[in-house]
Amino acid sequence: MRTRAAGAVIGVVFGFTLCWSGMSDPNVIREALLFQAAYLFLMFAAAVAVATAGVHLLRRGQRRALLTGAPLGWVRERPARRHVTGSVLFGIGWALADACPGPIAAQLGGGVPWAVFTMAGAVAGVALFLRRGGAELEPAADAPTGSGVSRTRDLRLASFLTTRPAGTIRSTMCSPSDNPAKDPNHA
Amino acid sequence: MLHHQLPWYIAGPVLGLCVVACRGLFNARLGVTGGFSEIVARVGRGSLAFDWRGWFAIGIVLGGAAFALAAGGPGFDGYGWLTATFHGTGRVAIAAVLVVAGVLIGYGAKSAGGCTSGNGLTATSLLSPAGLVSTATFFGTAIVVTVVLRAVI
Repeated sequence: MRTRAAGAVIGVVFGFTLCWSGMSDPNVIREALLFQAAYLFLMFAAAVAVATAGVHLLRRGQRRALLTGAPLGWVRERPARRHVTGSVLFGIGWALADACPGPIAAQLGGGVPWAVFTMAGAVAGVALFLRRGGAELEPAADAPTGSGVSRTRDLRLASFLTTRPAGTIRSTMCSPSDNPAKDPNHA
Repeated sequence: MLHHQLPWYIAGPVLGLCVVACRGLFNARLGVTGGFSEIVARVGRGSLAFDWRGWFAIGIVLGGAAFALAAGGPGFDGYGWLTATFHGTGRVAIAAVLVVAGVLIGYGAKSAGGCTSGNGLTATSLLSPAGLVSTATFFGTAIVVTVVLRAVI
């Protein structure tokens, strides 16, 4: 419950900031992608710098998550083909709509009628992926604790690992498979 | 005040701190596509019991609504290059382009395990090689497609 409330509050701050910074305005995104304005790149770099410093300092000093008590840690994924092919598709969509998922949600809340179409497409795209067997599997150290879903994920992962001979497991673990259904690191 | 773009050196760190908050409070990866996916999967099973990711996505919608209420609107008219290009009955094309773009965004982000937030902000801050490759790929692709679009249309 507290985790959900915290997620919602962080979402409100995130959405409000996206709007105030102009990221929900398709003109601003287009200007950035045509290198007519440096704002997006400067903001992005500042965000990544603060996030990088923040999470690494946290892991050093705090060790456990404040609300759940889970040990702080994460898995660094190796690049697989799906990261490139998926990001190419995503990049085309981003350039066509000049909006990515955060701004689409913020536009919808802000009463931008065109966002209904982009959101409908995004929901269909996610549903298509899930229907094609793309299982929802996050890195174990990152999985949200205390929810039934993460337990199902673990079971699925466990059954996947135990149905394969040891040699295959090692190669699969070293280079994540392109089939998302079998990829334990899939977000 | 809300009619002026928030300086990048404030907006960027606020978004970065959202990533840090998800990590410090419940050891999770901030990602908007994860929220969409959570909602789609739960609703598909007839449930509304979303985890934090679903509520994060709902929070962004509420944040967008709060900004529009405070600023007296979303801060822009029309819809970028699309409403500047298509007029009258041609506006049907805008809806089609946006639906197709949305499908590419949703399917592509799920395949890559993240969007601009999940891969671009969060995975890069974890120094994840997959996140860095994804971010370079979608930025590069979006820049090329936008330049081509401007040249062609």
